[in-house]
Amino acid sequence: MKEIRTGELTPPDISEQDVFEAMKAVEGYIDITPGDFKEVYQTAYALAVKRLLTNLKAGNIMSKTVVSVKQEITLVQAATLLAEKKISGAPVVNSDGKLVGVVSEKDFLREMGFGATPSFMQIATHCLNNKSCMIGRLHNRTVGDIMTKPPITGKPEMAIGTISALFAERRINRLPIVDDDGLPVGVVTRTDLAHALHILGGAPKI
Amino acid sequence: MNYFQKMRGGGQSPPKVGLAEVLWSWLGSFLGLAAVSLLHFNVLDQTGLMMIIGSFGASAVLIYGAIRSPLAQPRNLLGGHILSAIIGVTAFQWLGFQPWLAAAVAVSTSIALMHLTRTLHPPGGATALIAVIGGESVHNLGYLYVVIPTALGAGVMLIVALLINNISKSRRYPEFWF
Repeated sequence: MKEIRTGELTPPDISEQDVFEAMKAVEGYIDITPGDFKEVYQTAYALAVKRLLTNLKAGNIMSKTVVSVKQEITLVQAATLLAEKKISGAPVVNSDGKLVGVVSEKDFLREMGFGATPSFMQIATHCLNNKSCMIGRLHNRTVGDIMTKPPITGKPEMAIGTISALFAERRINRLPIVDDDGLPVGVVTRTDLAHALHILGGAPKI
Repeated sequence: MNYFQKMRGGGQSPPKVGLAEVLWSWLGSFLGLAAVSLLHFNVLDQTGLMMIIGSFGASAVLIYGAIRSPLAQPRNLLGGHILSAIIGVTAFQWLGFQPWLAAAVAVSTSIALMHLTRTLHPPGGATALIAVIGGESVHNLGYLYVVIPTALGAGVMLIVALLINNISKSRRYPEFWF
Protein backbone atom coordinates (compact mmCIF):
# COMPACT_ATOMS: atom_id res chain seq x y z
CA MET A 1 0.00 0.00 0.00
CA LYS A 2 1.55 3.29 -1.03
CA GLU A 3 1.45 6.34 1.12
CA ILE A 4 -1.06 9.10 0.67
CA ARG A 5 0.75 12.32 0.05
CA THR A 6 -1.69 15.17 0.40
CA GLY A 7 1.17 17.62 0.00
CA GLU A 8 1.10 16.80 -3.69
CA LEU A 9 -2.51 17.79 -4.30
CA THR A 10 -2.35 19.82 -7.47
CA PRO A 11 -5.03 22.12 -8.87
CA PRO A 12 -6.76 21.09 -12.09
CA ASP A 13 -4.39 22.01 -14.87
CA ILE A 14 -5.68 25.39 -15.95
CA SER A 15 -3.90 26.65 -19.05
CA GLU A 16 -2.98 30.19 -19.97
CA GLN A 17 -5.31 29.76 -22.90
CA ASP A 18 -8.20 29.02 -20.52
CA VAL A 19 -7.41 32.21 -18.66
CA PHE A 20 -7.12 34.14 -21.90
CA GLU A 21 -10.55 32.93 -23.05
CA ALA A 22 -12.07 33.75 -19.66
CA MET A 23 -10.59 37.25 -19.78
CA LYS A 24 -12.11 37.72 -23.21
CA ALA A 25 -15.51 36.82 -21.79
CA VAL A 26 -15.22 39.64 -19.24
CA GLU A 27 -15.85 43.10 -20.68
CA GLY A 28 -13.21 45.72 -20.21
CA TYR A 29 -9.45 45.69 -20.03
CA ILE A 30 -8.12 43.45 -17.28
CA ASP A 31 -4.78 44.69 -16.14
CA ILE A 32 -2.98 41.35 -15.65
CA THR A 33 -1.23 38.92 -17.96
CA PRO A 34 -2.81 35.46 -18.32
CA GLY A 35 0.39 33.94 -16.92
CA ASP A 36 0.23 36.02 -13.76
CA PHE A 37 -3.43 35.24 -13.34
CA LYS A 38 -2.69 31.53 -13.62
CA GLU A 39 -0.06 31.87 -10.92
CA VAL A 40 -2.49 33.67 -8.61
CA TYR A 41 -5.16 31.08 -9.32
CA GLN A 42 -2.89 28.15 -8.55
CA THR A 43 -1.71 29.66 -5.31
CA ALA A 44 -5.27 30.48 -4.27
CA TYR A 45 -6.37 26.96 -5.16
CA ALA A 46 -3.62 25.40 -3.07
CA LEU A 47 -4.70 27.58 -0.14
CA ALA A 48 -8.31 26.50 -0.59
CA VAL A 49 -7.31 22.83 -0.56
CA LYS A 50 -5.21 23.39 2.54
CA ARG A 51 -8.15 25.10 4.23
CA LEU A 52 -10.47 22.22 3.34
CA LEU A 53 -7.95 19.66 4.57
CA THR A 54 -8.02 21.52 7.86
CA ASN A 55 -11.74 22.19 7.99
CA LEU A 56 -13.02 18.83 6.81
CA LYS A 57 -13.18 16.61 9.89
CA ALA A 58 -13.25 12.89 10.59
CA GLY A 59 -16.87 13.29 11.68
CA ASN A 60 -17.79 14.49 8.18
CA ILE A 61 -16.27 11.61 6.25
CA MET A 62 -16.32 8.58 8.58
CA SER A 63 -18.51 5.52 8.06
CA LYS A 64 -20.92 5.77 10.95
CA THR A 65 -22.23 2.23 10.94
CA VAL A 66 -19.47 0.63 12.91
CA VAL A 67 -19.17 -3.11 12.88
CA SER A 68 -17.25 -3.81 16.05
CA VAL A 69 -16.28 -7.15 17.53
CA LYS A 70 -16.08 -8.15 21.19
CA GLN A 71 -12.61 -9.09 22.40
CA GLU A 72 -13.86 -12.36 23.95
CA ILE A 73 -15.17 -13.88 20.72
CA THR A 74 -13.17 -16.55 18.96
CA LEU A 75 -11.21 -15.89 15.82
CA VAL A 76 -13.50 -18.17 13.87
CA GLN A 77 -16.50 -16.09 14.90
CA ALA A 78 -14.65 -12.88 14.11
CA ALA A 79 -13.54 -14.17 10.71
CA THR A 80 -17.09 -15.24 9.94
CA LEU A 81 -18.39 -11.78 10.83
CA LEU A 82 -15.76 -9.95 8.75
CA ALA A 83 -16.42 -12.25 5.83
CA GLU A 84 -20.16 -11.69 6.11
CA LYS A 85 -19.77 -7.91 6.19
CA LYS A 86 -17.12 -8.01 3.46
CA ILE A 87 -14.72 -5.89 5.46
CA SER A 88 -11.09 -6.53 6.18
CA GLY A 89 -10.99 -5.30 9.74
CA ALA A 90 -12.98 -3.91 12.64
CA PRO A 91 -12.61 -2.13 15.97
CA VAL A 92 -12.51 -4.39 19.00
CA VAL A 93 -14.47 -3.44 22.13
CA ASN A 94 -14.51 -4.74 25.71
CA SER A 95 -17.61 -5.65 27.69
CA ASP A 96 -18.25 -1.92 28.42
CA GLY A 97 -18.30 -1.18 24.71
CA LYS A 98 -15.02 0.75 24.94
CA LEU A 99 -12.49 0.47 22.19
CA VAL A 100 -9.52 -1.68 23.15
CA GLY A 101 -7.94 -2.57 19.83
CA VAL A 102 -8.32 -3.16 16.13
CA VAL A 103 -8.38 -6.51 14.41
CA SER A 104 -7.75 -6.94 10.70
CA GLU A 105 -6.58 -9.41 8.10
CA LYS A 106 -3.06 -8.38 8.97
CA ASP A 107 -3.45 -9.71 12.50
CA PHE A 108 -4.83 -13.01 11.23
CA LEU A 109 -1.98 -13.37 8.76
CA ARG A 110 0.62 -12.53 11.35
CA GLU A 111 -0.92 -15.10 13.69
CA MET A 112 -0.72 -17.68 10.91
CA GLY A 113 2.97 -17.02 10.60
CA PHE A 114 3.00 -15.09 7.35
CA GLY A 115 4.17 -11.70 8.57
CA ALA A 116 1.96 -8.67 8.19
CA THR A 117 1.84 -8.22 4.42
CA PRO A 118 2.13 -11.46 2.47
CA SER A 119 0.89 -11.57 -1.10
CA PHE A 120 -1.90 -13.93 -2.01
CA MET A 121 0.54 -16.09 -3.97
CA GLN A 122 2.76 -16.51 -0.91
CA ILE A 123 -0.23 -17.77 1.02
CA ALA A 124 -1.34 -20.03 -1.83
CA THR A 125 2.11 -21.54 -2.23
CA HIS A 126 2.34 -22.11 1.46
CA CYS A 127 -1.04 -23.79 1.67
CA LEU A 128 -0.39 -25.99 -1.33
CA ASN A 129 2.82 -27.25 0.23
CA ASN A 130 1.48 -27.66 3.77
CA LYS A 131 -1.92 -29.16 3.72
CA SER A 132 -2.75 -27.84 7.17
CA CYS A 133 -2.42 -24.29 5.83
CA MET A 134 -1.59 -23.24 9.39
CA ILE A 135 -5.15 -22.19 9.81
CA GLY A 136 -5.27 -24.59 12.74
CA ARG A 137 -3.33 -22.06 14.76
CA LEU A 138 -6.36 -19.85 14.80
CA HIS A 139 -8.58 -22.26 16.69
CA ASN A 140 -9.27 -21.62 20.33
CA ARG A 141 -7.86 -18.11 20.18
CA THR A 142 -9.87 -14.98 20.82
CA VAL A 143 -9.81 -11.64 19.09
CA GLY A 144 -8.27 -10.14 22.22
CA ASP A 145 -5.24 -12.41 21.74
CA ILE A 146 -4.26 -11.25 18.30
CA MET A 147 -5.67 -7.73 17.95
CA THR A 148 -3.42 -4.72 17.48
CA LYS A 149 -3.36 -2.77 20.72
CA PRO A 150 -3.39 -0.16 21.96
CA PRO A 151 -5.48 1.10 19.05
CA ILE A 152 -4.55 4.23 17.15
CA THR A 153 -7.73 6.29 17.35
CA GLY A 154 -9.04 9.64 16.25
CA LYS A 155 -11.68 12.05 17.48
CA PRO A 156 -14.56 13.21 15.27
CA GLU A 157 -13.00 16.71 15.13
CA MET A 158 -9.70 15.45 13.71
CA ALA A 159 -8.88 17.15 10.39
CA ILE A 160 -8.57 14.93 7.35
CA GLY A 161 -5.11 16.32 6.65
CA THR A 162 -4.00 14.95 10.02
CA ILE A 163 -5.70 11.62 9.35
CA SER A 164 -3.96 11.09 6.03
CA ALA A 165 -0.62 11.89 7.65
CA LEU A 166 -1.42 9.33 10.35
CA PHE A 167 -2.28 6.68 7.75
CA ALA A 168 1.01 7.25 6.02
CA GLU A 169 3.16 7.39 9.16
CA ARG A 170 1.63 4.48 11.01
CA ARG A 171 0.97 2.40 7.90
CA ILE A 172 -2.62 1.71 8.87
CA ASN A 173 -5.69 1.41 6.67
CA ARG A 174 -8.46 2.33 9.07
CA LEU A 175 -8.78 4.69 11.95
CA PRO A 176 -11.49 4.05 14.55
CA ILE A 177 -13.10 7.29 15.67
CA VAL A 178 -14.06 7.38 19.34
CA ASP A 179 -16.06 9.84 21.42
CA ASP A 180 -14.82 11.35 24.67
CA ASP A 181 -15.82 8.22 26.57
CA GLY A 182 -13.77 5.95 24.33
CA LEU A 183 -16.84 4.48 22.65
CA PRO A 184 -16.42 3.89 18.92
CA VAL A 185 -18.62 6.20 16.80
CA GLY A 186 -17.23 5.47 13.36
CA VAL A 187 -14.31 4.43 11.22
CA VAL A 188 -12.36 6.37 8.62
CA THR A 189 -10.87 4.06 6.03
CA ARG A 190 -8.49 4.80 3.20
CA THR A 191 -11.50 4.60 0.93
CA ASP A 192 -13.35 7.27 2.92
CA LEU A 193 -10.29 9.47 2.71
CA ALA A 194 -9.92 8.89 -1.02
CA HIS A 195 -13.55 9.93 -1.52
CA ALA A 196 -13.07 13.07 0.53
CA LEU A 197 -9.92 14.04 -1.37
CA HIS A 198 -11.64 13.31 -4.63
CA ILE A 199 -14.44 15.70 -3.69
CA LEU A 200 -11.79 18.34 -3.03
CA GLY A 201 -10.93 18.01 -6.71
CA GLY A 202 -7.35 17.03 -6.14
CA ALA A 203 -5.77 13.89 -7.43
CA PRO A 204 -5.39 11.68 -4.38
CA LYS A 205 -2.31 9.57 -4.82
CA ILE A 206 -3.17 6.28 -3.21
CA MET B 1 14.89 30.70 -15.08
CA ASN B 2 18.22 32.47 -15.32
CA TYR B 3 18.90 36.18 -15.76
CA PHE B 4 18.99 36.15 -19.56
CA GLN B 5 16.16 33.66 -20.05
CA LYS B 6 13.92 36.05 -18.13
CA MET B 7 14.50 38.69 -20.81
CA ARG B 8 12.83 36.55 -23.44
CA GLY B 9 9.41 37.06 -21.87
CA GLY B 10 7.36 34.08 -22.90
CA GLY B 11 4.07 35.26 -21.42
CA GLN B 12 1.29 36.69 -23.50
CA SER B 13 -0.60 39.94 -23.74
CA PRO B 14 -4.16 40.14 -22.40
CA PRO B 15 -6.87 39.93 -25.11
CA LYS B 16 -7.96 42.88 -27.19
CA VAL B 17 -11.08 44.58 -25.83
CA GLY B 18 -14.36 44.81 -27.71
CA LEU B 19 -15.39 47.76 -29.85
CA ALA B 20 -17.83 49.03 -27.22
CA GLU B 21 -14.99 49.31 -24.73
CA VAL B 22 -12.96 51.26 -27.26
CA LEU B 23 -15.80 53.70 -27.83
CA TRP B 24 -16.51 54.23 -24.13
CA SER B 25 -12.81 54.76 -23.51
CA TRP B 26 -12.72 57.32 -26.29
CA LEU B 27 -15.81 59.15 -25.06
CA GLY B 28 -14.73 59.25 -21.42
CA SER B 29 -11.25 60.51 -22.17
CA PHE B 30 -12.55 63.06 -24.68
CA LEU B 31 -14.96 64.51 -22.13
CA GLY B 32 -12.49 64.31 -19.26
CA LEU B 33 -9.76 66.14 -21.10
CA ALA B 34 -12.32 68.56 -22.57
CA ALA B 35 -13.42 69.51 -19.07
CA VAL B 36 -9.95 70.25 -17.71
CA SER B 37 -8.81 71.92 -20.93
CA LEU B 38 -11.82 74.23 -21.03
CA LEU B 39 -11.16 75.30 -17.46
CA HIS B 40 -7.49 75.75 -18.30
CA PHE B 41 -7.74 77.73 -21.48
CA ASN B 42 -10.95 79.68 -20.86
CA VAL B 43 -10.86 80.39 -17.14
CA LEU B 44 -7.41 80.07 -15.60
CA ASP B 45 -5.05 80.98 -18.41
CA GLN B 46 -5.45 84.72 -17.91
CA THR B 47 -4.67 84.43 -14.20
CA GLY B 48 -1.27 82.78 -14.56
CA LEU B 49 -2.70 79.62 -13.03
CA MET B 50 -3.03 76.35 -14.87
CA MET B 51 -5.42 73.45 -14.79
CA ILE B 52 -3.83 70.94 -17.11
CA ILE B 53 -0.56 69.08 -16.87
CA GLY B 54 0.84 66.38 -19.13
CA SER B 55 0.32 63.61 -16.62
CA PHE B 56 -3.47 63.95 -17.00
CA GLY B 57 -3.18 62.41 -20.46
CA ALA B 58 -1.71 59.34 -18.81
CA SER B 59 -4.38 59.30 -16.10
CA ALA B 60 -7.03 59.34 -18.82
CA VAL B 61 -5.68 56.06 -20.20
CA LEU B 62 -6.28 54.44 -16.85
CA ILE B 63 -9.50 56.00 -15.56
CA TYR B 64 -11.34 55.87 -18.90
CA GLY B 65 -9.50 53.05 -20.71
CA ALA B 66 -8.61 50.50 -18.01
CA ILE B 67 -11.24 51.19 -15.40
CA ARG B 68 -10.95 47.82 -13.67
CA SER B 69 -7.28 48.34 -12.97
CA PRO B 70 -6.33 48.85 -9.33
CA LEU B 71 -4.07 51.63 -10.62
CA ALA B 72 -7.13 53.48 -11.96
CA GLN B 73 -9.18 53.62 -8.77
CA PRO B 74 -9.95 56.94 -7.00
CA ARG B 75 -7.58 56.22 -4.12
CA ASN B 76 -4.74 55.81 -6.62
CA LEU B 77 -5.78 58.66 -8.92
CA LEU B 78 -6.08 61.29 -6.19
CA GLY B 79 -3.51 59.88 -3.78
CA GLY B 80 -0.92 59.23 -6.46
CA HIS B 81 -1.17 62.68 -8.01
CA ILE B 82 -1.32 64.66 -4.78
CA LEU B 83 1.50 62.84 -2.98
CA SER B 84 3.69 62.95 -6.09
CA ALA B 85 3.03 66.68 -6.52
CA ILE B 86 4.16 67.33 -2.94
CA ILE B 87 7.33 65.26 -3.51
CA GLY B 88 7.96 66.99 -6.85
CA VAL B 89 7.69 70.53 -5.49
CA THR B 90 9.82 69.64 -2.48
CA ALA B 91 12.48 68.04 -4.67
CA PHE B 92 12.66 71.14 -6.84
CA GLN B 93 12.82 73.55 -3.91
CA TRP B 94 15.54 71.59 -2.09
CA LEU B 95 17.56 70.27 -5.01
CA GLY B 96 16.63 72.60 -7.89
CA PHE B 97 20.26 73.78 -8.14
CA GLN B 98 21.00 70.32 -9.61
CA PRO B 99 18.04 69.72 -11.92
CA TRP B 100 19.13 66.18 -12.88
CA LEU B 101 19.18 65.18 -9.22
CA ALA B 102 15.89 66.90 -8.43
CA ALA B 103 14.20 65.12 -11.36
CA ALA B 104 15.50 61.70 -10.38
CA VAL B 105 14.70 62.13 -6.69
CA ALA B 106 11.21 63.46 -7.45
CA VAL B 107 10.16 60.48 -9.54
CA SER B 108 11.85 57.72 -7.55
CA THR B 109 10.64 59.02 -4.21
CA SER B 110 7.10 59.41 -5.55
CA ILE B 111 7.06 55.79 -6.65
CA ALA B 112 8.31 54.64 -3.25
CA LEU B 113 5.74 56.77 -1.42
CA MET B 114 2.89 55.64 -3.69
CA HIS B 115 3.85 52.02 -3.04
CA LEU B 116 3.98 52.56 0.71
CA THR B 117 0.59 54.27 0.73
CA ARG B 118 -1.07 51.85 -1.74
CA THR B 119 -1.74 54.74 -4.08
CA LEU B 120 0.40 53.63 -7.04
CA HIS B 121 -0.74 55.60 -10.08
CA PRO B 122 1.78 55.73 -12.94
CA PRO B 123 0.89 59.30 -14.02
CA GLY B 124 1.90 60.38 -10.51
CA GLY B 125 5.52 59.89 -11.58
CA ALA B 126 4.95 62.40 -14.37
CA THR B 127 3.27 64.83 -11.97
CA ALA B 128 6.37 64.75 -9.76
CA LEU B 129 8.69 65.17 -12.76
CA ILE B 130 6.69 68.11 -14.15
CA ALA B 131 7.11 69.91 -10.81
CA VAL B 132 10.86 69.89 -11.54
CA ILE B 133 11.07 70.32 -15.32
CA GLY B 134 7.83 72.26 -15.93
CA GLY B 135 9.55 75.62 -16.22
CA GLU B 136 8.90 79.04 -14.69
CA SER B 137 5.12 78.87 -14.73
CA VAL B 138 5.15 75.68 -12.65
CA HIS B 139 7.99 76.74 -10.35
CA ASN B 140 6.21 80.01 -9.55
CA LEU B 141 3.23 78.12 -8.19
CA GLY B 142 5.22 76.61 -5.33
CA TYR B 143 3.09 74.25 -3.26
CA LEU B 144 -0.03 75.65 -4.90
CA TYR B 145 0.92 73.19 -7.68
CA VAL B 146 -0.39 70.45 -5.40
CA VAL B 147 -3.88 71.99 -5.30
CA ILE B 148 -4.15 73.69 -8.69
CA PRO B 149 -3.67 72.08 -11.16
CA THR B 150 -2.95 68.70 -9.60
CA ALA B 151 -5.73 67.97 -7.09
CA LEU B 152 -8.37 70.06 -8.82
CA GLY B 153 -7.65 68.64 -12.27
CA ALA B 154 -7.59 65.06 -11.01
CA GLY B 155 -10.86 65.75 -9.19
CA VAL B 156 -12.57 67.03 -12.35
CA MET B 157 -11.34 64.02 -14.30
CA LEU B 158 -12.65 61.75 -11.55
CA ILE B 159 -16.12 63.31 -11.72
CA VAL B 160 -16.24 62.75 -15.49
CA ALA B 161 -15.10 59.15 -14.96
CA LEU B 162 -17.90 58.53 -12.46
CA LEU B 163 -20.48 60.03 -14.83
CA ILE B 164 -19.35 58.28 -18.03
CA ASN B 165 -17.98 54.93 -16.85
CA ASN B 166 -21.24 53.91 -15.22
CA ILE B 167 -23.56 54.46 -18.19
CA SER B 168 -22.90 51.14 -19.89
CA LYS B 169 -24.41 48.06 -18.25
CA SER B 170 -21.17 46.16 -18.51
CA ARG B 171 -18.97 48.89 -17.02
CA ARG B 172 -18.64 49.90 -13.40
CA TYR B 173 -16.43 52.49 -11.75
CA PRO B 174 -14.88 52.55 -9.25
CA GLU B 175 -14.10 49.06 -8.03
CA PHE B 176 -13.30 50.68 -4.66
CA TRP B 177 -12.88 54.20 -3.33
CA PHE B 178 -10.21 54.09 -0.67
